[in-house]
Order: sequence, then structure tokens, then C-alpha cells
Amino acid sequence: MDAQARSVLYRIFRRIPNRNIENLLRRWNCLSADQLRALDYTRPKWMIVEHVISFCEESRLSLKHITNLEMIYHIETPDQGIWHACQLTEAQDDAVCVELTQFKEQFKAHLHGVIRHISIKMKKHEDEAIWIRIAWGDNFNKPNHLKPTYVVHHLHTSYVFISNLMAKHKIFLFQALVIATKHGSIKDGHLSTKSLTAMRDLLLRRYQQVFPNAHSRILQERNSLPSHPCIGKEHREHEERRHQMACEVFGHGPTPKLETAVYRLETRYRGNSNYTLSEKEEFLRGVVKFSSSSLLESLRHCVTSGMAEGPVTPLLSAITQRGRNYFVITDKGPGVSSQASAQRA
Amino acid sequence: MSLLTPYSKVPELNTATVLLVENEEELQSKLADAIVQCEKEFNVNVRLARKLPLPVENKKTRPRIDLIVFIINLLSERSLQSAESSLSHLHSDCFLGKVCFLVTDARCGSHTQERMVSVRKLAASHQCPVLCAEHRTADGVNAAAVRILNILKVSAGMSPIATTALYLSSLTRCSVTSDLEDD
Repeated sequence: MDAQARSVLYRIFRRIPNRNIENLLRRWNCLSADQLRALDYTRPKWMIVEHVISFCEESRLSLKHITNLEMIYHIETPDQGIWHACQLTEAQDDAVCVELTQFKEQFKAHLHGVIRHISIKMKKHEDEAIWIRIAWGDNFNKPNHLKPTYVVHHLHTSYVFISNLMAKHKIFLFQALVIATKHGSIKDGHLSTKSLTAMRDLLLRRYQQVFPNAHSRILQERNSLPSHPCIGKEHREHEERRHQMACEVFGHGPTPKLETAVYRLETRYRGNSNYTLSEKEEFLRGVVKFSSSSLLESLRHCVTSGMAEGPVTPLLSAITQRGRNYFVITDKGPGVSSQASAQRA
Repeated sequence: MSLLTPYSKVPELNTATVLLVENEEELQSKLADAIVQCEKEFNVNVRLARKLPLPVENKKTRPRIDLIVFIINLLSERSLQSAESSLSHLHSDCFLGKVCFLVTDARCGSHTQERMVSVRKLAASHQCPVLCAEHRTADGVNAAAVRILNILKVSAGMSPIATTALYLSSLTRCSVTSDLEDD
């Protein structure tokens, strides 16, 4: 095993707590049952890693197996690093007929054609997601396995999730994706989170959505709190209406765990007219950042409790309706109502 | 502008109703639970509202209100402002012993002292008592519930001795002394 394989192995094990190592090695299925039994997981981690390395050398495992292990680890714990979403647009007529083998062949063929040294690994997970691990090299250097890019795509959806992609490789990856999925182009989705599960849940609509309808009493079942018959609420309808509005925008039940939403302002200052800044033509640039351990949950609570006035402003509802968390707000002209002042919420 | 009047409806037998008005809607539900649990001798109805005026739709079904309690959280400026604006929706008859103020978080921080002075001035100008409550423990909530029930009993006319709401309020009303204003 060469030095690079060893470093990759170290990097994988560094982040796993000892108790999860056993499951991972078992799922990897490259070490024999005797070797697995011989490992003592109560030892310090560096000892365990040394043992694993010696077993790998015994079994003559190569870098290929190690990268497989890394991939298994990432598929099991997808919520690490920063993920970015991209959207495929301009689907061609036969985009819906693309099947897995065709996608794999076209993707690999394109990348191998443009870069001489590159290592691509693809795996299909049971929930229909295709995981791709790419270690980039260039015309002179071997692939660097210490900084692989991970790409996740669900076939026949228009979203691709990418982690750890360097700017110089972006164009190659995008071209390959566009060709392999038979779309016309790909654009930045303006959504980035630490948690891939949250991103997938939001974009693929895997949370419980509430649709507006004439009978807005659907959510009455949430009033399961047994309230005493002598206690009456004066503003019960207002409360229910607020709850309904909040759930229409942010969903009912557990929401995808987004952490931040960023609004970049490039607007003119509109305030009291005795402030001289409003007369200048310059833009007032600023960044408004909302952050929370579960942003959508907090925003939903703001609306239900009445802290933010309803109906929910489109600046906030755009997070779920359009699936983004980075917005640039500009003034469109003197006639349009200022969006910057609507940032009160 | 429809004002909330105290004597426009007929009282029910052995029943008293208290209206808790709070902008944050946090303490009022806990207090309501404590009040209905505490009182065993007569029926207590609790109405929860965020601010006045109350919705017109409920006017028919709403029972006669015997006591109105404004819950003010001294940590929030908005709480005090909301209570002040709600006061203007009460008929002046209400202030003859049927309104009381309950403040929470009176001992946290420096801004609360200034707000406490404004609450006391507000209460003194309306001849109403001010109660201080501690809302973070169950004991505090129960104690506040017991105090409110004591005032409610008198306002609803259930006190066995001939104590009227007006008489009680003249004993318990808040006064702003001159040394308080020097603070």
C-alpha cells in the first residue's frame, strides 16, 4: 500500500468514533472474518488504524479498495462538508429515457476524454441516488485522492448535489453532467448547506407540505392539546389562520434542517427623507444573514406566534418555494415598491 | 369603537370569568391551567386574548367578564406598549375595580426598573393594583393564580363579607410615591 492509500485511510478513520468502525469495516467486506475478530476496538484509535493497515497489506488491498471504503463512509454519513445544489435545465426530449448504464458510460467517457488522469467511481444507493466520487488529476499528475469531489444525482430529477469541487474543475464536471443527462445546460442553484439530507428533503419535496384550500380547518387535528373546557381563546381563529399560513409556506411537521439564509442587498436607502444618503445615486450594500440550528422551524414559529406578520413575505417564502438560500435583492426602479424595507420580518 | 363594558351582560350563577390579556401569549396559558385547577368552589372561566379590542364574532358567546388582567413582561418594550394601547378599548366603568396588572421579570436587568416605574404610574393613574409574579417555576405560577383568584372572587361579587370590587380596589390600588420618582 502506498503512502497515498495510507493517508486516505488515516483521514477516514480520524473522523469516525471508534464504535462505528466495526460496522463500517463489516460493510466494506474486504477484511476476512478472522481479521475483523482480531481487532480490539477498545484500544486507542491510532492502534486500530495501524492494525487495519497491516491487515490490508496482508490481504494486498490497493487504493481502489480504500477509496471504496471512503465512499461507503460518505454514503452512510452524508451530512459532512458543504454541499451545493445545481439545477439542470433545458431537458431534451429523451432526457426521461436516460437509464443508469447509459448515464455512467457517457459521464465517464466524457471526463476521461478531457482529462488524462482522473479516477471516477460510481455507486447506486438503494434510494435511487447515484453517488459519484471523482479524484482529479491533470495531464501530468496522477489523481489526487485526498481531495475528492462527491456528486449525488437522482436520475430523472433536475437537481445535482456537489461537494468539494474546485473552481478549475467546475466546467469539466458541468459539461459531463449535461451530456450524460441529456439536458441543455446547468446552473447554480443558490442553495448550500452542511446537511445533504436537508438539501435533498427541501428540493425533492420530501417534507410534509400543506396546500392552500378552501377548507382551512385541515390543521385542527394539531389542537390535540387537551385544553380545559373552561378556557376559551378569543383570538382562536386568528391563531389558526396564522398557523395555516405558516404551514403553507414552511410545511407541517419536521422541516428540512437548513442552517442559514443570506440576502445580499444592492438597493438604495429608503428611509426618512432628512437623511442625506437617500439623495445620492449610490447603492447601499449590505448582507442580511439568518442563521439557526433549524432555520425553517424558527421562521415557522415566528409566523405562528405572530412575531412576523402574515401573509408571509415572499422574501422568506422563496426559501421553500424556490429552494434557495442565497438571494440578491436589487432595486428595479423608482416605481417598484422597495423590497429592502420589507426586510423587517 | 366598541368598548368592553363590565355590566352589559347578565352574570351566571356561581360563575366568574377572568380575561387574561398578554401580548406574548406565553404565561397566559400556564396561568389559565393553574387557575382552573386551583378553584374548586365555584366555576371559573378563563378567556385568553392577545390584545383588545376583542373580536366581534365572539361577542354573543362570551360570558360576562368580571376581571381583566393585563400581563406585562418587563423584558419587552412591546409588551408594555400593547397593554397601554389595549387600555383605551375599555369602558371607564371597568376601572372601578375590574382591572389589574400582572408584571413578570421585575428583577431582571436595568431596563425593567424603568418599565416598572412606568407600569406603576399607569396603574396609579387608572386606580388599579399591580401584582408581581414569577413565571418560570410552577410554584410561582400557582401563587399568581391564587392571588388572581382572590381578586376575582371580590370582583365577581362572591366574597361573603360585603366587599365590593370598588372597595377592594381603593385598598389595593397602586400608588406612586415621590421617592419612587427620584430613582
